[in-house]
Amino acid sequence: MIKTYYESGMGLSTERQAVVFDFGDCYTKVGFAGEAGPRSIVPSEVRCPKDGRTRKVFDAVKADEQYNLLVEFIHNLYFRHLLVSPKDRRVVVVESVLCPTSIREMLAKVFFMHFEISSLLFVPSHVVALSTLGVNTALVVDMGATETIVIPVYEGVAVLHAWQAQPLAAKAVERQISDMLQEREKSNQSEGYANLTEKMIEDIKVRACFVTTLGRTQKAREDKPCPCPPSVNYLVGPGSNMLNISGDIRENAFNILFEQDADQISVSTMMLDAITKCPIDMRKPLAENILLIGGTSMAVGMKARIKEELSYLAASAQYSEKLKLRTFKFHSPPAKENYTAWLGGAIYGATDIVSTRSLSKEAYLKDKKVPDWVSLIYNTLNEGVKRSI
Amino acid sequence: MAYLVRNDIVQYACTCGQLRPISFLYFCRHCLKLRCGFCVCHEVESHYCSNCLEILPSAEARLKKNRCQACFDCPNCLNTLAVRGTTVSVRDPDDPGKVNSQKKYYHACFFCRWTTRDVGLPDQAVQTVSANGWAQKNTSNVQRITVLLEHAKLLGMLERHEREQREKKFTARFRRNFTHLPGLTAAHVRKRAGLPPELPAPSTIKVNLAEFQPAVAKETVPELPTDIFTKELDIGTVTTLTQRFAQPETQPDSIEGLLPSYKHLSTKQSQRCRECEHNVSKPELNPASIKFKIQQAAYFYVPEVRIVTLEPLIGGKPSEVVIVFINPSQHPTTLSFITLQEAEEEIKQHQTEGTTDTAVQQGEAPLSLSSLTKPVTVVEEPRPIDISMTGEVQLPAADVEIVLPPKDDAAEYDDSGEIQQFHDDPKIVIHRRANKASLRFTVVPKTDIAGENCVIGFAFRYTYVNRISTPAIATSEQKPQKVQLCTRIFMNCGKILEGTQ
Repeated sequence: MIKTYYESGMGLSTERQAVVFDFGDCYTKVGFAGEAGPRSIVPSEVRCPKDGRTRKVFDAVKADEQYNLLVEFIHNLYFRHLLVSPKDRRVVVVESVLCPTSIREMLAKVFFMHFEISSLLFVPSHVVALSTLGVNTALVVDMGATETIVIPVYEGVAVLHAWQAQPLAAKAVERQISDMLQEREKSNQSEGYANLTEKMIEDIKVRACFVTTLGRTQKAREDKPCPCPPSVNYLVGPGSNMLNISGDIRENAFNILFEQDADQISVSTMMLDAITKCPIDMRKPLAENILLIGGTSMAVGMKARIKEELSYLAASAQYSEKLKLRTFKFHSPPAKENYTAWLGGAIYGATDIVSTRSLSKEAYLKDKKVPDWVSLIYNTLNEGVKRSI
Repeated sequence: MAYLVRNDIVQYACTCGQLRPISFLYFCRHCLKLRCGFCVCHEVESHYCSNCLEILPSAEARLKKNRCQACFDCPNCLNTLAVRGTTVSVRDPDDPGKVNSQKKYYHACFFCRWTTRDVGLPDQAVQTVSANGWAQKNTSNVQRITVLLEHAKLLGMLERHEREQREKKFTARFRRNFTHLPGLTAAHVRKRAGLPPELPAPSTIKVNLAEFQPAVAKETVPELPTDIFTKELDIGTVTTLTQRFAQPETQPDSIEGLLPSYKHLSTKQSQRCRECEHNVSKPELNPASIKFKIQQAAYFYVPEVRIVTLEPLIGGKPSEVVIVFINPSQHPTTLSFITLQEAEEEIKQHQTEGTTDTAVQQGEAPLSLSSLTKPVTVVEEPRPIDISMTGEVQLPAADVEIVLPPKDDAAEYDDSGEIQQFHDDPKIVIHRRANKASLRFTVVPKTDIAGENCVIGFAFRYTYVNRISTPAIATSEQKPQKVQLCTRIFMNCGKILEGTQ
């Protein structure tokens, strides 16, 4: 079948928009390249076709189980949210640099073998997030669901040896909330507690909790606590059970991200450590170009707290010798933090890169592998030598 | 109707290795194979609004971002909003003493009682509210993103230009060779060869790039509101994540920011066999119609199997199972039974024949010409069937053939009890009526697994009359072809009881 110029009724001038996916542990962002926002942000969950339970897409243990879940999930994304046929359409996937190779391979297999897409492009989330700003240098902090990952990007290149990642993110906060509730339950029983689900804890986190100031936390540490904010009544389930969420929980749940643990690591020290690991002439531009992305950084007061923490720590004994930085500046991208990385992918997906750098269907079918710079097969000198002659 | 409600009792093995009840399977009349939702290619056929049932052509749906322009969703509970009308008294501008009554419309949700008045949206004078009345906020981002997009495109072009300069020495000039053909411009040729369109001159790119202003980082960040430590919080006024994500671009955190959103469209989908690219299912365009233009459900072509009666299943002891076979087609069919192993060997044989075919088909066209040649068909490898057998079934000998007469819709109402003459072995066939035959099988459940379900599996061959004349057949013989097909069945016969010894 020879394809006509007027394929899909849109004439020659408009190529079909690429589809941009940003798969997250908790939420998946999906939309079209060249658009200002994602079409949908959906939970990364799917009803398992076998037993009918709702399952997290990336939780599967066995490979073919994972494959089935992904097929089901992506099918839903295409036919319920994007409403386009997946076949012969380009795809851009925004992925974290730390994404396991097995998941990359699995995604490529699902997209090429099941959905028959025409090409697939993986873009690193930290680097593409910068295209929402138009700058080349920034300290990118991705506060996601399970991990906070800090990667400095300098002149468009990720400074990989300075990366920092810790499980200090949404999940840690939620665990903290449920621990605090459990602790309180011992002394003061309430009827609502028993019916709490994971979703509700997330809901409490989003709607009731906030990130308090450094000053109040320090006072509390010195046993001179300020008066707690008012508590909130939270309705649990249809049985109208009220759960009282104390001001302490509201104020201090997010503190888990900033309490330095046994290794003296918190979100703010991760950022300073990442800067410290960079060469000295990169440090100032990085500190003056900080970009916070990921849903957790949208919490009320998060940015203010991070700024306070950075200034405080940089002047403290821990860092004042190593770092001579005193000013920290923050970017505000033209998007909500939770889809900034997606928007970066959407901007990349609208350029020529998507046609020149993608992995094409033919190339994938040839050896059924995704080229990866870490693998020596794709990263040997030979190709470079050939080109330079 | 057991196959609709209890679809885990009798399952057919699809060509791709998935187990599905017959009501979930397609039968491709061109490849003569079973297909399931997993191994067909789904395509979006038409877009429609599930509330007003209006069809939108796909180009228009794309422009409208897959949203209906007349219907709205409640931003609070995500159900559809309804239009409500009220009469408002308005003072006449000309005569201050006179009061006119005017009809006004607003939207309300019948589920959660949310109305457009709650967020201060003015009532509309016309019933069909276009959302122009509710100007979308937050358009400033769009402008900035357009600038960023342009910038990224220019950067991409510059990079490509540099690479093309570098590779120019090696590229043959054949790319421009088609341009002498009428109607073929250089742009067409580039497009056909899968190349990106021609570049503007690098100097103009650089000039345009220089105009761009990158974002500037600031020391100020949104502060924590100071009254958060003293003000009582009504949690009902804070939006949930679901509500925020329903409006991904604004994501309001207070319910005052909720705006009704255009209703998301739904689609009608068609299914296509991935091997031969023929449709196995194609719905009618009209969203109100539940009919199909093409519907090749397996239910119309493949003999249906149901369990009629079961003796109690006791581990290690043979028990009798009566299974009815129903011929849904317009032609008589002949059944014979084989074991799963035999069936699998048969399938493997077919596959090896098949792969030699496709290997030729895939026959390496040069990559640059790929868009000109037939696209490569990608077929996922069939997987091993994921079910464990907990019982043995004793099948009639392979040479026992059971003829099922064609389905006759009139026979349903014919009570004359006309006895058809079939030379059946009464030990196997215990009952016949119209296009159905009840057969007796013996099942021996495994021992020591009392309480578990007894799963048996077998395969049967059936004859199928292929009425589709492919060009190759049409030249040689016009008669419909009779083919013998094979399908694998897995049955869950229920719980195995404790042996009494």
